[in-house]
Amino acid sequence: MNFEQMKEYLVAAAKVAGLTEYEIYATSNREMSTETLKGEISSFSSGESGGISFRCIVNGKMGYASSELLTREEMEALVDRAIDNAKNIENDDEVFIFPGSKHYEAVTAPACDLPEAGTLKNWALDLEKKTYAEHPSVSDGTQTGAIAFESNIMLCNSHGLELTNHVSASGAYVDAIVKEGDEAVSGFKIKSGRDATVFEALPGEAVEKARGKLGAVTVESGKYDCVISGEQMRTLLSAFSSMFSAKMVQHGMSLLKGKLGEKIASDVVTVTDDPRRPECDVQTSFDGEGVATYRKCVIEQGELRTYLYDLTTAKKDGVASTGNGQRGSYASSVSIAPYCFCLEAGDKTQDELFGEMGEGLYITELKGIHAGANAVTGDFSLESAGFRIRDGKIAEAVKTFTIAGNFLELLKNIDAIGDEIRFGFTGGFTSFASADVRVRGISVAGK
Amino acid sequence: MILDRKLLQEVLAAAMTTGADFAEVYAERTLNDSVHLLDGKIDQISSNVVSGVGIRAFKETRTVYASTSDLSREGLLRCARSVAAAMGEGNAQVSISLVERMFPNIHPVRIIPSSVESRIKSDLLRAGCTAAREYDPAISQVTGTLLGVDHTIQIANSEGLLTSDRHIRTRMAIQAIASEKGGNQSGFYGPGRGMGLEFFDMIDPAEIGRRAAAQAMVNLRADYCPAGKMTVAIENGFGGVIFHEACGHSLEATSVAIGNSEMAGKLGQQIANPKVTAIDDGTIPGAWGSVNIDDEGTPTQRNVLIENGVLKNYMIDRLGSRRMGMPMTGSARRQSYAYEPTSRMTNTFIDNGPDKNEDIIASIEYGLYAKSMGGGSVNPLTGDFNFSVSEGYIVRNGKICEPVRGASLIGKGAQILKDIDMVGQNLATGQGMCGSSSGSVPTDVGQPLIRVSSITVGGRN
Repeated sequence: MNFEQMKEYLVAAAKVAGLTEYEIYATSNREMSTETLKGEISSFSSGESGGISFRCIVNGKMGYASSELLTREEMEALVDRAIDNAKNIENDDEVFIFPGSKHYEAVTAPACDLPEAGTLKNWALDLEKKTYAEHPSVSDGTQTGAIAFESNIMLCNSHGLELTNHVSASGAYVDAIVKEGDEAVSGFKIKSGRDATVFEALPGEAVEKARGKLGAVTVESGKYDCVISGEQMRTLLSAFSSMFSAKMVQHGMSLLKGKLGEKIASDVVTVTDDPRRPECDVQTSFDGEGVATYRKCVIEQGELRTYLYDLTTAKKDGVASTGNGQRGSYASSVSIAPYCFCLEAGDKTQDELFGEMGEGLYITELKGIHAGANAVTGDFSLESAGFRIRDGKIAEAVKTFTIAGNFLELLKNIDAIGDEIRFGFTGGFTSFASADVRVRGISVAGK
Repeated sequence: MILDRKLLQEVLAAAMTTGADFAEVYAERTLNDSVHLLDGKIDQISSNVVSGVGIRAFKETRTVYASTSDLSREGLLRCARSVAAAMGEGNAQVSISLVERMFPNIHPVRIIPSSVESRIKSDLLRAGCTAAREYDPAISQVTGTLLGVDHTIQIANSEGLLTSDRHIRTRMAIQAIASEKGGNQSGFYGPGRGMGLEFFDMIDPAEIGRRAAAQAMVNLRADYCPAGKMTVAIENGFGGVIFHEACGHSLEATSVAIGNSEMAGKLGQQIANPKVTAIDDGTIPGAWGSVNIDDEGTPTQRNVLIENGVLKNYMIDRLGSRRMGMPMTGSARRQSYAYEPTSRMTNTFIDNGPDKNEDIIASIEYGLYAKSMGGGSVNPLTGDFNFSVSEGYIVRNGKICEPVRGASLIGKGAQILKDIDMVGQNLATGQGMCGSSSGSVPTDVGQPLIRVSSITVGGRN
């Protein structure tokens, strides 16, 4: 993208319009992905995209406009549209174009060059071969794939602030289909990494995950003690993370309103938000408003320590921005979101989590999170699958049941946490991570 | 036209130099504009232009796809060459001759949203949100969005097709929150159409707000839903999400063509109760999921999927057609040029059946009446699906009784189709955004009131 040229057009148009406070935010992305089917590369795709957003303050209101069409005429139109949009805003909250933080800490996982297309294809083909070799029950329909992307982010504003960031990530996945008799089940595993050795365990894990589901039965409805796997707990965290947004709190849409400094979870629960967590490949030292990002404890030993803030919500609460004013893409306005939001590890091995529980369930799948979890009410009811725990050990596979409850009650009922954190694959700045958690007395609907 | 015919011919030829037997160019320009209201005030207004091209080539059932937002001649040819390079080697000279074709526009639009001043759109949205606020003193917060999409596409392929289409859609979505004693409950209503702002001649924005608020108030007074297997009556409109999740996705070529669907190989078989007839129809004038042509340039059609319980057809895109040896059904869709298209639903619904609605409720001794549904998901391989109930009531002795909240329904698609044992007569649709491998696309779901004899209700004990 010819960003410098577009920037010149925008700055000139802003000057003509008499604007004194404005910001230009641009992204330019490249991505590749490939997938196999029946021993061959069945698809390969690559994409280049990018766009520019212009926002400005007119009479104390912020107006936005954005486009992927990078021409002089469109840049001039962008300034007009942003001004027009600002004039129609009614929200009286104070808005800011930010002069810059004193210091921006470097990221811990700098971007790498993207792998070549041929490398991605080899990763995928190799994984497919190994997946079929794992077990004779692995069947056609099994697919493996590899993905890679990079993004350049540019932010500059009328205060002379100029920030850039280059991020990249790659990964591979296995979606193993296992058939035995009339039964077909699948196991999906994805991992981020920059060379093939990282993916070596994927075929075995995916096939084991699939085979573990064979012969699954339904459980009786009732209350069960449960260990929720880190992979699933992190999806629950993602569904309810907007509760921690100061904007949701200030507008009465979060149950955490008025709870700062209070116990909202059991003592064993600590949740951090770290934009520079080494396990996350996509990192940034500045947020979507140009504010420096930093690590913070959101819940410390059960106590709510802070909400997540952007500049506007921070001003309202008389605090400093936590650097969480993110832009999901060039086309999105600033909205509050975490970076690596992590429910930190405890001291229990998985054997201890199961062993001390004796009887219960090990939840390894939660489905329909986008529909079955409501961040405003905190309620969830989710399709689940996993294993029965009997005598402190993994027993038969179980499925077609739901677990239901309220997220804040669940946080209070966590009595132990596993010693290993599960990180997810992420395509953006926001990711979630969690260790296994043990929760007492969850409502289960089954038979 | 977004791109010149001669340039398109050149780009297609460049994509086919290494042995591809088919190539396609999809060019897009979309203007998304939205107005958002919070706390009674216009909080955000955004307008974004999406502009780019996706180039695809096939060699039998192998596909290569590349996309770019660089619409310069060099940008397009570079993109086409990258497709050719990923397909194989060679230097074939292919000559493409495009003949332009226009398909009939069956979705006329009177007021294109992007051409209307923000102030007018803000007033429409404010009317909806104010009605929600005023519905009850316990309504503590209302958020609303008015969305307008103006989507122009151009499709050219190596079979000589050159065509374009412009598709407009409008949606107002309102969320109301009711609060009492530190607890929050929410209600949502978000109707939309493949129409312009004339949509609001059909539906009063205030009615949208009141429906969202009424649902939040019902939930505020509701206890948790009990758990276990029950008989469930699912109301019309967005209730049709049960078919969308329990069966619709499993009838898409995306999973059927590679055997990853529990519905693969079942054409002609009795897969549902004979009272069930299900249709995917992308031709309904002005409907939310309608389009004149699909994203491969095939006109949409009315596809009878299940007739009197017998599986009649799948939803098939071009790649699915090659893999399955069956004709395309106008079902290829994608969120934008950045996505390779695949088979998706348009407006999918269970048709009216033989049962009187009052008989359905009267037939239930103890069970759940699910008046409004939220979204859900499915694994097409196993048919295991879930969806959430956003407004529900216990039914006792054939009467609708107290409200209950926080439930989801889960089951296995193949089993549920057989367990839909009563089908009522008040067919209506609801609007949603459906997410899958080719991105998020607008889809209608629909049905009349139906009864499912037994389904697991995910409540609390």
